[in-house]
Amino acid sequence: MIPFLALFAALGASVLSEAEAGTILPYSSAAACTDGPAYYAFELVSTKNIPGTGLATGTVEASVTAASPFSVHLSADGSYAYELHVTLDRMRVPGEGQLVAWVTTPDIDQIVRMSALDEHLQATGQVDWNKYIVVITLEPSDDPGQEIWTGPIVMRGMSRSGMMHTMVGHGALQQENCAAFGYGN
Amino acid sequence: MISLYRTGTLLAVLALVALPGASSAQHEMHGMTMGGGWRMVPMDMSMPMLPGIDGAVPVVGPFMPGMGMDPAMLPEARPSEVVQLADMDTLDISVSMVRRTISGQEMIMFGYNGQYPGPLIQVPKDATIMVRVTNEIQMPTTIHWHGVRIDNRFDGVPGVTQDPIERGESFTYEVNVPDAGMYWYHPHVREDVQQDLGLFGNLLVTSPDPDYYGPAHREEVFVLDDILMDEQGALPWGDESPTHALMGRFGNVMMVNGETDYRLHAKRGEVVRFYLTNVANSRTFNVTFGGAKVKVVASDVSRFEREQWVGSVVIAPAERYVVDVRFDRPGEILIANTVQAINHFRGEFYPQVDTLSIVTVSDEAAEPDVSAAFDTLREHDDVVADIEAFRPHFGRNPDHELVTTVKVQGLHQSIVLSMEADTLYVPPMEWNDAMPMMNWLSTAEEVTWILEDVATGAQNGDIDWEFKVGDVVKIRVHNTPDSFHPMNHPIHVHGQRFLVLSIDGVENQNLVWKDTAIVPVGSTMDMLVEMSNPGEWMIHCHIAEHLHAGMMFGFTVTPPAP
Repeated sequence: MIPFLALFAALGASVLSEAEAGTILPYSSAAACTDGPAYYAFELVSTKNIPGTGLATGTVEASVTAASPFSVHLSADGSYAYELHVTLDRMRVPGEGQLVAWVTTPDIDQIVRMSALDEHLQATGQVDWNKYIVVITLEPSDDPGQEIWTGPIVMRGMSRSGMMHTMVGHGALQQENCAAFGYGN
Repeated sequence: MISLYRTGTLLAVLALVALPGASSAQHEMHGMTMGGGWRMVPMDMSMPMLPGIDGAVPVVGPFMPGMGMDPAMLPEARPSEVVQLADMDTLDISVSMVRRTISGQEMIMFGYNGQYPGPLIQVPKDATIMVRVTNEIQMPTTIHWHGVRIDNRFDGVPGVTQDPIERGESFTYEVNVPDAGMYWYHPHVREDVQQDLGLFGNLLVTSPDPDYYGPAHREEVFVLDDILMDEQGALPWGDESPTHALMGRFGNVMMVNGETDYRLHAKRGEVVRFYLTNVANSRTFNVTFGGAKVKVVASDVSRFEREQWVGSVVIAPAERYVVDVRFDRPGEILIANTVQAINHFRGEFYPQVDTLSIVTVSDEAAEPDVSAAFDTLREHDDVVADIEAFRPHFGRNPDHELVTTVKVQGLHQSIVLSMEADTLYVPPMEWNDAMPMMNWLSTAEEVTWILEDVATGAQNGDIDWEFKVGDVVKIRVHNTPDSFHPMNHPIHVHGQRFLVLSIDGVENQNLVWKDTAIVPVGSTMDMLVEMSNPGEWMIHCHIAEHLHAGMMFGFTVTPPAP
């Protein structure tokens, strides 16, 4: 075994005593390594506007690692280029129309159609925004050329990065009137 | 009771933070001498100061090279010079203090042979050179030949492969270079200080194959760096141990080859091969080339299986990339670090573009015209064939699993509360120091970064892996997002080469031999290490402050039986 303590001292780092008061312990290794970008996954929540969707659940997995020779895939402006994978569950497929997945900005000033959901209630797509909202709507038909949704929103959810909008970052520190944008009171 | 106290404190923190007058008043401390000789770290005026840390300084003392000396007494550092060496040649390198001027501030820094960066050493593949290093600075030092599958005795790790070179002493490295490509050399003693102060240089290993890379009109070496400065010069470093232990020391001044205004000239249609090396302590760069067409050709220890078009180059500390760039349009092209930075307090991303270099492209056409070759993406059959032998190992279960995490102890309560409240979301990569005061105040006395062996629970130096030459080892590294402060980690393996097989289960379709690869927050990286080189080696995070806050361990590769 390499004489680690000697190395550590030589490098000039400090050796901390274990389990002292005030120590914030690290994540336990009992939690095994996991595959997949689970951390950046987020939930879709039903609007309950469509019959058969009251108990529906949905998940969006978001990965920044595909299709790049580097460890992360970025767009031209440095935003993360996410590969999105939508999965819905516990819902009755509407008898008419087509469920379609969309991505929009928090300001809803840009909208990108991901794809229609398949028979397994899944859809995939890409987005290169750092904060975004995934919206599932019920459209009259599957029209890849459609630029904006027209049907009712079935489910929606915000990217995990939306959680940056915490009580620390929100409210008193926010210059805008957040209530005007639907946040808080 | 504890939770009430903590909640109350947090509310007080938030209330005080909200006072606009308070935040601007606190920022007036910029440049003022604080306790113990520290100066307050530069901070965006729009970012409020956490109450309770107003006037706080790191628990370690400040370090400045040549403290009290007049910089005028020292020789002015000069730009890097190319040194071409043949097999068995010897190079003398002195490690000494130099005078540098960066952004108008004259200061004392370190240099190899009085140069910034150190000499660009150019050697043919398979050569062995002798490098006699003499230490003339007040700190012990070594040289680590980063990425080179070197004889273990010359890996430059103090306490493992050699004793540190004390002031006035010398050590001769025998550097054998079995792989073509761009490497670099730097100290392995207090990298956070010595490397930041200018101790780094490139080692270019040339291939005997004239067609090793595609045609280019010329080659440029770009050593990417940053330095943390204020109006008085560089901010002091931690003396006993590093400051900035949470996120690493991000600089606020960007440099290419040690210069803040590095300029190039090119002709229209000129293809320039850039050798990029990131020597920054912590910053990962996203290098953009102003819309010029860019293809990535090679990385740390080999070329890619296939050349590939890219929109930018994401390069973490210690990584290297070789890219060919064609400048098609006359005019000024900005080579920039283009990122989406984070303002934690406002919960926002914002674009941040820092110019690294300006290329003035003339209307004169470059000769000869190499466009056809440039537009063709080459497949490197020898690289593919080399990797093919390792494919049977790709699908098997990992031999070892590591988890990265962090332990803190004794950090200021405001920092702890703020971090716990505002880390519901952590980005895959930290492109900027979004919390400069908190980061500065965190030292390696309070922060321990950890690599943990999942199978045994052993951490850092208690991990004891042993392999034999010829072993092919699959290592899975999971960067847990559930720690006190998750952050991306560039993981460096000494003395061997590895492939990044997959990240988050997504298979890598264009492999390249690496010695350093970054693991984003929340991600899981599978790497396949060829244990080809006997000796006692290190695996560590190459964020200098994380390394010196414990994030390293050793492994042994035993030679074949005689």
